[in-house]
Amino acid sequence: MKILVLNSGSSSVKYKFFDALKNLCHAEGQVERIGLGGSLLHHKRMDGDRIRTGVEATDHAQAIETVIATLLSRNHGVIADKTEIDAVGHRVAHGGEKFTSSALVTEEVKDSIRDCIELAPLHNPHNLRGMEACEQLLPGIPQVAVFDTAFHHTMPPHAYIYAVPYILYRRYGIRRYGFHGTSHRYVAARAAEKMGRPLEDLNVITCHLGNGSSMAAISKGNSVDTSMGFTPLEGLVMGTRCGDLDPALVLYVMGKESLTVSEATAMLNKHSGLAGISGISSDMREIEDEAAAGQERAVLALDIFTYRIRKYIGAYAAAMGGVDAIVFTGGIGSNSPLVRARSLEGLDFLGVSIDTDVNAGCLGCDAEVSSAGSRVKVFTILTDEELVIASDTMRIVSSFQQQRG
Amino acid sequence: MAIDRIFIAGAGRMGQGIAEAAATAGIKVDISDIDSDKLDQGMAGIESSLDRTIERWALTAGEKRIILSRIKPVMDIQSAPEADFAIEAVPENLDLKKTVFASFDEHFGDRTILVTSTSTLTITDLARATGRPDRIVGMHFLFPVPHAAMVEVSGALKTSEETLRAAKSLAGRMKKRVIEVHEYPGFVTTRVMIPFINEAAYAVMEGVADAADVDEAIKLGFGFPIGPLELADMIGLDDLMILMESLFRELGDFKYKPCPKIRRLVRAGRLGKKTGSGFLNYAGGEGDLR
Repeated sequence: MKILVLNSGSSSVKYKFFDALKNLCHAEGQVERIGLGGSLLHHKRMDGDRIRTGVEATDHAQAIETVIATLLSRNHGVIADKTEIDAVGHRVAHGGEKFTSSALVTEEVKDSIRDCIELAPLHNPHNLRGMEACEQLLPGIPQVAVFDTAFHHTMPPHAYIYAVPYILYRRYGIRRYGFHGTSHRYVAARAAEKMGRPLEDLNVITCHLGNGSSMAAISKGNSVDTSMGFTPLEGLVMGTRCGDLDPALVLYVMGKESLTVSEATAMLNKHSGLAGISGISSDMREIEDEAAAGQERAVLALDIFTYRIRKYIGAYAAAMGGVDAIVFTGGIGSNSPLVRARSLEGLDFLGVSIDTDVNAGCLGCDAEVSSAGSRVKVFTILTDEELVIASDTMRIVSSFQQQRG
Repeated sequence: MAIDRIFIAGAGRMGQGIAEAAATAGIKVDISDIDSDKLDQGMAGIESSLDRTIERWALTAGEKRIILSRIKPVMDIQSAPEADFAIEAVPENLDLKKTVFASFDEHFGDRTILVTSTSTLTITDLARATGRPDRIVGMHFLFPVPHAAMVEVSGALKTSEETLRAAKSLAGRMKKRVIEVHEYPGFVTTRVMIPFINEAAYAVMEGVADAADVDEAIKLGFGFPIGPLELADMIGLDDLMILMESLFRELGDFKYKPCPKIRRLVRAGRLGKKTGSGFLNYAGGEGDLR
């Protein structure tokens, strides 16, 4: 079964084209700068053929049309006809309480995803746009939504209920949902494989550090807590998002500066985090460069970022009654030895020690970076959310087709 | 209805606001003005409004670039491409608006819907200047357009249901709640707000309380976010006077006749926030008139 996996962001569409039966990726790439002018397509075929070219992409539909055309292209493509695409799997940011696992896309499912827009305003609208574009471009092809929130549905109430009037949970579904579920689920399973032990015997802390960052406490294979909450704003410091803070400060600043709700929302989502602290950049690579050059606020941003991770490791180790493995993934987690080392500083008491040389040498690779004597294993693992989405899509579409006979 | 592109005649405050709100909603905008300096000022005005939005954290620099790239100044209507809507945002003057509507009618293809932003003139009168009375609609945007959460939509005598629906979907794209109103000078907002401001001005003139206290009484007493006199200053007292006189002419009721206090302030060049003082003083303004 050949599956196109799409991750539609605000100005980009990332794609991977899989033969899901063989677990084989045929091609991958992304369209960048959608709607911004000067849109770019990066496309890579697994035999090594690569192209990078300017394309017309004023919206998501046009971007996905370009993706399909590229897959069909005589010189760079991997299929001869559109009908070879058996199904499309979409990454969806927020599934609310409605979705505890991946789902076949129907009108009702789309409505439920739409209902969750208020919960993930930066993500869900673009995910929906991707689905609607596929309905136009690939009519009749089944689509599956794989939710960032679903993996965390195993959290116990004491981890997901906030200490605010309980009626708010009933009325608006205010609770911790968590995100990056597909990634946390995948890298935890890979860590168990690498340890040669069943995930069901392990307590794992996963750190997905990218432009959005979150951590999860995974006990016996189940997510029991995670740092993102009601929205992807809570928890760790991120590129432009604030993460944890005193909720009263939001109200205070809104009063002081007469901010509207949408202004305050944008302040916390787009002007905070690394960018807000440093005043330089939301990109960890630039923060690291500036910090190395002694730029004070870049140093501060890096300190706050890694201190927050360290605190969460301690909290999750306590929550699970111990930890067997810590996994780093995501753009920063996989590529920043400095962030990994700084985040684990002083955790010897917990049985964590890293091999400094191995860690320093590990950029964008899968490796164990803990020292030989470390009781807690530390891994960097390249996440592969698309692979998880492809296999979920295959499973759901197959069972749907069997039911239909 | 798919809305791709709109044309706006008039790069004054209203035109700028409509352009900014539409471009923020992802719609391409062509904007023109008979005066090329005004057009330049209009573009600069949009940019500085977006800068203020960034200062209030509601926007990022990258988003601002995208929004600005959607707005194109055009020297005259002849060089404007086809549009889904052509919106007039020129001064509140019947003959001027008729001329603009006639030029819209001549330049744009049949499917283009012509929109007037008037709040005090009769839309049916404007529709007569065109050969497409079914595709004319009134959309009264409020100042400041990007931040006002509603728009009054009104059909003229022959406006089709389809045209009304299209106007509502344009408002929806711009994230504005539609209040549908019958064609009648002043609609709801201007009609109710003007006697309110006028009465507040009389209260000041007759020495009941000073301007700041009148506003404070209304704000705290009734939970209004802004007092009537600060609102008047925000609209601009000269523009306010034009609205009042237009309503007075159309409806003939003395309650719309500008209070002498307003005339006096306009004569003194104290036009409100834009000049630094009006009923109230603003940062950088001159001394108090009270």
